[in-house]
Amino acid sequence: MTRHSCATPPDDAVVAAPPDAGSPAVRRVHRPRADCTTDSAGGLTFRVRLCEGADEEAGAPEVPESAAVLLRLRHQHGPDASLRLPLARAAADGRLQASLPSTTRLREGRWDAYLTLGDEEPQRLLPGVHDLRSLVGSASVDTQAWLGVRIPYTTKYGNLAVRTWLRRPHAEAGALRVADDAITLQGRLYGARLSATACLEAHPRDAAASSVRVPVRPDSEERSEPQAAAPEHGTDTGHSVRDFAAELPLGSLLPGHRVWDLWLRPAEDEEPVRLGRILDDIPDKKRVFKYPSQRVTSRDGAAHSARPYYTINNNLSVQVSVETLAEAEAE
Amino acid sequence: MHISFLIFSAYGMGGTVRTTFNLAQALAEQHDVEVVSAFRFRDRPFFEPGDGVRLTSLVDMRRHRPTYDGADPEHARPARVFPAADGQYAQHSALTDRRIGEYLSSTEADVVIGTRPGLNVHVARQTRRGPVRVGQEHLTLATHSARLKRLLRRTYPRLDAVTTVTEADARDYRSSLRLPGVHVESLPNSVPAPEVTPADGSGKWVVAAGRLAPAKRYDVLVRAFAEVVRERPDWGLRIYGHGREENKLRKLIDELGLYNHVLLMGSANPIETEWVKGSICAVTSSLESFGMTIVEAMRCGLPVVATDCPHGPGEIIRDGEDGLLVPTGDVNAISGALLRLINDEGLRTRMGQAALSASARFDPARVAARYEDLLTSLVNRRAGTLHRARGTLLGGAYAARETVRLGVKHALEGART
Repeated sequence: MTRHSCATPPDDAVVAAPPDAGSPAVRRVHRPRADCTTDSAGGLTFRVRLCEGADEEAGAPEVPESAAVLLRLRHQHGPDASLRLPLARAAADGRLQASLPSTTRLREGRWDAYLTLGDEEPQRLLPGVHDLRSLVGSASVDTQAWLGVRIPYTTKYGNLAVRTWLRRPHAEAGALRVADDAITLQGRLYGARLSATACLEAHPRDAAASSVRVPVRPDSEERSEPQAAAPEHGTDTGHSVRDFAAELPLGSLLPGHRVWDLWLRPAEDEEPVRLGRILDDIPDKKRVFKYPSQRVTSRDGAAHSARPYYTINNNLSVQVSVETLAEAEAE
Repeated sequence: MHISFLIFSAYGMGGTVRTTFNLAQALAEQHDVEVVSAFRFRDRPFFEPGDGVRLTSLVDMRRHRPTYDGADPEHARPARVFPAADGQYAQHSALTDRRIGEYLSSTEADVVIGTRPGLNVHVARQTRRGPVRVGQEHLTLATHSARLKRLLRRTYPRLDAVTTVTEADARDYRSSLRLPGVHVESLPNSVPAPEVTPADGSGKWVVAAGRLAPAKRYDVLVRAFAEVVRERPDWGLRIYGHGREENKLRKLIDELGLYNHVLLMGSANPIETEWVKGSICAVTSSLESFGMTIVEAMRCGLPVVATDCPHGPGEIIRDGEDGLLVPTGDVNAISGALLRLINDEGLRTRMGQAALSASARFDPARVAARYEDLLTSLVNRRAGTLHRARGTLLGGAYAARETVRLGVKHALEGART
């Protein structure tokens, strides 16, 4: 478990490569890291190491009182697109620490993490050792409040960022099955009540087709996947029915090339809620939760393939493609 | 002591790099330690070499640098010292032969340690008279070709010691290579304590990590997990790593309908934060020259279910105490062992605790102390038995260094009183 290098990731153009003429020795350019820890109450703590191996931080060069972790919402501006979390020495070990309380609402998106020290230009933070254990079970989610999810992750350039979601109501997708020309889905609704008229809706991305609706049934079955915690009975009196199941026949999404976004409408007279999967420690579901594609034939005999997938925002969609003759023959 | 490690590339992310850095850093607390990388492919190493460890390189393969060596005509000529029987022969050349040779013939080190057979051959043949020569075996003798074995038998007698990572491999070296006068000792890879608190046994995940390579037999693990899911659908399996088996595994997961329960997670660094999300580690390899992931998981407080394959697992796990060993390739035995731990929380927690304490023997400080003992005795042996002039010189140098250290200590004590 060797720590990975404190050195600046190669893709960051800001840092000039160290000259090494005359000496083949490696000179490293150090940048601060932050170790992130999530707690079961929904809080997130940043513990900054000013440099690798610097256990001596207590005695490290003095840090201005205005030192803070700065979070900036990528591609956004305005007062709610940046957040300053003051850094203070932790009593236990003297390390610089900043906290993001669970009650702070962060807009949905990607927040880049910086370190600011006094008047200096904020410096991008590198990821450290992140203890995200408390996110894995997602058991203690308060179903009454806004769902604020924050997952620290490493960007493709090797920097630290925090992925956030802010939803209410929220429809969490769970176990999903692709079989018998249908997608069978289990899920859980937060912050809304599932009525007798609840339905699952597939909305086409383009306007050339119309939405598809199937009924949703309350699901009292045992959760049959590792992620989901057992339903906490009695803690959610206002919305006691929240586990649901639905079956979407793939034939209804044919014919044609099309992406369908899945929504849950809790009741006929309510707005639909986008189905997504955000309640765990995996920031990018698209890479990890992958489902097989299913071949379906439309009424006019054309072969299609349909595959559910998570979008880059961890929302659930279905990609339907018309198979070319070559693909069909290759099967 | 001045200790110098010679490694193929300190800029990669393989097991040899990690374990070399772990050891180098621990030794650097008492000694002067350098890691010499034959090649340099990147500006900065992927892993941190550690405080006090000097990192240098011999052949620069970074195209954007004026010091780029890849276009040197000498690099186009085949290597003669680096043996063709080593799997990395193709990357070596007349240029690497010369640069490695220049370094070995001029090094000031008291001990030079090679980290793979081809480099050990360099160390045996090109190190100037004086330094202790050690060859590390990170793989196993059994997996080398007959041609490489013949070469090692001819060359290794010029080493002072050969270290293996398992006792089983040390036995192989002693019995089948029979190297006269060469000390053969097994010294395990080291793994530092994790920076996160150990697992508490409550996470309903089985975790596996390693390259998605055929020898890891993740197909066997996935099949075994199908059995687990039938009985315990509330548990899942996370497999970390990339590799050429990825598509095959994905297909198998789809075929078995396990896509809600078995997740291919991609690579993770650091991995310790991923171990602690689970409660059991699974290793189903057909071959493990050591079994680094077993030790990593144990240091995070996970009991490990591992196949009793050659060579490492059986020397790391005490079956039934801090983990479970099962026959290689036996799907039912693997699922049975996993279910035994899944269904018995008390057993799982106890074994996790046992794994945590047993794995402390792999701490870099403990392993480095064993290396220190070995290297000190080799330096002394050299000093005592070698050609008089050289022995005196070397002994003198080491003694002088000792005197300085003792002198400093005395001075400090003096200041205190």
